[in-house]
Amino acid sequence: MTPAKSYFMCKKAELASWLRALVYRSRLEADIEAELADHLDRLTADLIRAGHPPKEAARSARVALGPALKTKEDMRASLGLRWWDELCADLRFAVRILRKSPGFTTIAAVSLALAIGANTAIFSLTKSVLYDRLSVPHPEQLRALKWHSVGDSAVHGMWGDFDPAPEGGMQGTIFSYPVYLQLRAHNQSLEDLFAFKWDAMNATIRGVAQEVETELVSGNYYSVLGVRPQLGRPITPSDESKYGEGAVALISEGLWERSYGRSPSVIGQTITINQVPFTIVGVNPRGFTGAKGVQASPDIFVPLTMQPIVDPKGKTSLLEDSTMWWVNVMGRAKPGVTDAQAQAILVAQLESATRATMRVKPNETVPHLVLVDGSRGLRLADGMFRKPSYVLMALTGFVLLLACANIANLTLARGAERQREMSVRLAIGATRGRILRQLLTESLLLAGIGGTGGLALGYLARNAIPMLMTNRWQRISLEVHFDWRVFGFAAAATLATGLVFGLIPAWLAARSEVSSSLKESAQTSTRRRRNLSGKSIVAFQITLSSLLVIVAGLFVRTLYALNSIDPGFRTDHLILFEIVPPALRYGMGKDVELDRRLEQAFAALPGVEGVTLGLTAYIADSMSNDDFIPENTADNGDHSGAEDWNIVGNNFFQTMGIPIVGGRGFGPQDTATSQRVAIINEALARKRFPHTNPTGTRFKTDDAKQGWVTIVGICGDTRYATLRDPAPPQFMVPYVQQTEVGGMTYAVRTRFSPSQIVPSLRHLVQQEDRDLPVINIRTQQEQIDATLQMERLFAALTSGFGLLALALACVGIYGIMAYTVAQRTSEIGIRLALGAQPGQVRGMILRESTWLAIVGILAGAGAALGLARLVKSMLYGIQPWDPTTIIGGVLILLTVALAASWIPARRAAGVQPMKALRHE
Amino acid sequence: MASDKQQDILQGTLDLLILKAVSLGPLHGYGVLLRIQQISGEELVILQGSLYPALYRLEHQGAIASEWGESENNRHAKYYHLTDLGRARLGEETERWQRMSGIINGILSATPEQI
Repeated sequence: MTPAKSYFMCKKAELASWLRALVYRSRLEADIEAELADHLDRLTADLIRAGHPPKEAARSARVALGPALKTKEDMRASLGLRWWDELCADLRFAVRILRKSPGFTTIAAVSLALAIGANTAIFSLTKSVLYDRLSVPHPEQLRALKWHSVGDSAVHGMWGDFDPAPEGGMQGTIFSYPVYLQLRAHNQSLEDLFAFKWDAMNATIRGVAQEVETELVSGNYYSVLGVRPQLGRPITPSDESKYGEGAVALISEGLWERSYGRSPSVIGQTITINQVPFTIVGVNPRGFTGAKGVQASPDIFVPLTMQPIVDPKGKTSLLEDSTMWWVNVMGRAKPGVTDAQAQAILVAQLESATRATMRVKPNETVPHLVLVDGSRGLRLADGMFRKPSYVLMALTGFVLLLACANIANLTLARGAERQREMSVRLAIGATRGRILRQLLTESLLLAGIGGTGGLALGYLARNAIPMLMTNRWQRISLEVHFDWRVFGFAAAATLATGLVFGLIPAWLAARSEVSSSLKESAQTSTRRRRNLSGKSIVAFQITLSSLLVIVAGLFVRTLYALNSIDPGFRTDHLILFEIVPPALRYGMGKDVELDRRLEQAFAALPGVEGVTLGLTAYIADSMSNDDFIPENTADNGDHSGAEDWNIVGNNFFQTMGIPIVGGRGFGPQDTATSQRVAIINEALARKRFPHTNPTGTRFKTDDAKQGWVTIVGICGDTRYATLRDPAPPQFMVPYVQQTEVGGMTYAVRTRFSPSQIVPSLRHLVQQEDRDLPVINIRTQQEQIDATLQMERLFAALTSGFGLLALALACVGIYGIMAYTVAQRTSEIGIRLALGAQPGQVRGMILRESTWLAIVGILAGAGAALGLARLVKSMLYGIQPWDPTTIIGGVLILLTVALAASWIPARRAAGVQPMKALRHE
Repeated sequence: MASDKQQDILQGTLDLLILKAVSLGPLHGYGVLLRIQQISGEELVILQGSLYPALYRLEHQGAIASEWGESENNRHAKYYHLTDLGRARLGEETERWQRMSGIINGILSATPEQI
């Protein structure tokens, strides 16, 4: 037997023996008894045989075996049972201690459960948004291609995700299809590259028209990702061998379940996507969310090469258009090639591919390729959610710290009786380590109760926050998964909590002197030190509470400020919905005709006060712009003259309640054949025509061959994409004068609720075209609220934290002041006996708590100022040092501190001098 | 003082002695005590209080195993016997002991001429 093997076998035997001893504990105890008794019997018998008298023999036998209790204890220790037995004893004792003071236990457990629950919920959300990887084999090998451009980029046409880079310039994840093909053809730095594009499409599935999230994917998408459909076959390169042929689709498990009841016969069935029939060839595996990210949940996957058929944009196929950048590209890292090497090669390749496929003017720059981690897809949510997530993590961390401080304080404050207990234990021989362990067991048990409650709360709340973050009219796509990391986090938080609030009082208790606290008068000698630590803990609690209350105030005031913004139009009784006619059926201006018919049909419905439509819904985070080049200004073709615009119905201004402040609004006289007209808002008039009346001026848009457009009126300013940004310059043109418009948002002003009016609206659309869904039905107010989700979430969560913090601070201040008064009863008695008025005593106690509160509040307000500067970008309408919020927070905390110490102060004032002194 | 020293030596070697005793045939606890004393010619006195913890420790480590059985006069007793693991350990420890005692003997029998 090798040493390693025998060591392993020995450890195995020990584990088995230990478990056996635990499980068959009573039999083990009986065996020990029986074995020792047997030994004594035999020894006694032998001694008698040797001539000892029986009584003497039994005694000598017992002496020879030694003290039975000790022997048995040693035998148990041989089986590794000692620490277990001690733990059980500690736990039993801890349970008894906790049950003895139910008030303390309840406050501690509930506050801990709330704090750990909040931490768990926020952690699981953060993990899901910022850390969960794509559910494909080896996601860590995935790399995403991004670009960064500075100055005048050669890329003008973009469809997809691009935004200002933090370091300046623009960044994006989209490429033109010809560039993708070139990169892929010359690729040596990565394993194969694949392309995909997220898109929303109208699909008719089993006779129901609906909007579905679709992912257009390249032929090698499934093979490079390593995703195997759970049913049927994946999309393969042969599906894209001929552009536009290969009308096959895979569906998500969710869609399979919702629409097909998980029937295997789904394979071979036909769905219509944007009027194009596709054959379902497979069902994606569970949990596969596409390559975009885990927050996405596309339901249909079709070959990218179907784009010109299924979702044509303009006249040319995007597959051949090198000016439009739109596809996302990812790949797998190649073994032996570092990311830096791969990036260096790809930078040069993108440069040459761009120059090979499109014209780059001398003053223009070519995007610089950046290779990034693709294990979580494109990570589009990162920029938006990172800061809020971290802020929430920090705030919940403070709440947990506060709960810890609260328990530590309560433990200290009720510690007088424990002090004597500890001294007795030390006096009869317990080591300090043993006492520390006992106290730690108690706090860990308490933390365990709180942690279990917290985990349960976190589990229940795990989808509450994503629900608050999702629009009612859209399917929830973000699901927070509880996995071992969340359990690990909750366990770690619980353990850390137990250690933090357990160690401080345990350390103080264990270092107390035996003799001093066993003496009755020792109270006074230990009071000062312990009271000081208690007070600093309370001051710390007040600091954290002020911080949380002030931060909550900032977010509540931000939400209030946003809600009281006048957007410039009437938001009440307005129902919005979208109709997106597919270009295949509604090309060549047929969409304009459809919109005209629908507008008239809707307007004729009883109860409808007004109907209009627009290209861009207001305050919906969407925007659209076009060149605005007035007469007599040079068109230098650099797109610098672009302004936000909207294509609207003729009664847009009446229906939306936007005032016309000069000239005229659109009317029935504006038709497809009449003079082309536009209305500009006051902001645009101020910006472009500061000294003249713009009415009657002509301008051109990007579409130059459309000719001149005449400004006929000026309207009031409205907020555009968001409530936060001030009203931008904007111009509006009638849709009836456009050659094609595509998807439009309808706005119906009616006294009816959406549920009352929508069936009639839908019926009218179905009469036009049974494949055309009415999508994203919501009221204008819901639309505005949806853009304020983050603000509302923060206001709600931070208010909750603030209230919890106030409650805990209340408990803490009350606890420490009640303890102080109890300790100082004799002193107060003497003061009263010497002639102090009860009012003076009350004032003395209140002064003490006020000083405590002021110290804590000042520190908290300072910390809040620091934190507020970090969240400045999340605030609106107020400065981080908003005086109203800070003064309000300070006053609330002071009031709470005074209220919480009122009862102890009254008790102090009511002390009977005789009684107090006799007690001493 | 003499008995104290004896006990010190025994603490290190008690496990070895028990393994050896049990290797000669299954024994109950009292039997282990008797057999060691008998073989040593009553020279060794084992502290009975440390015998049982040692037996439990060895069983815990898998070197010996036990079962309840009938003894000579119909008495119920727990019998210990050596396991394979224990036999290997007995071999190793015996070898180590002999090497150690050989070294110590060598040192003790050293004469000035040898140095």
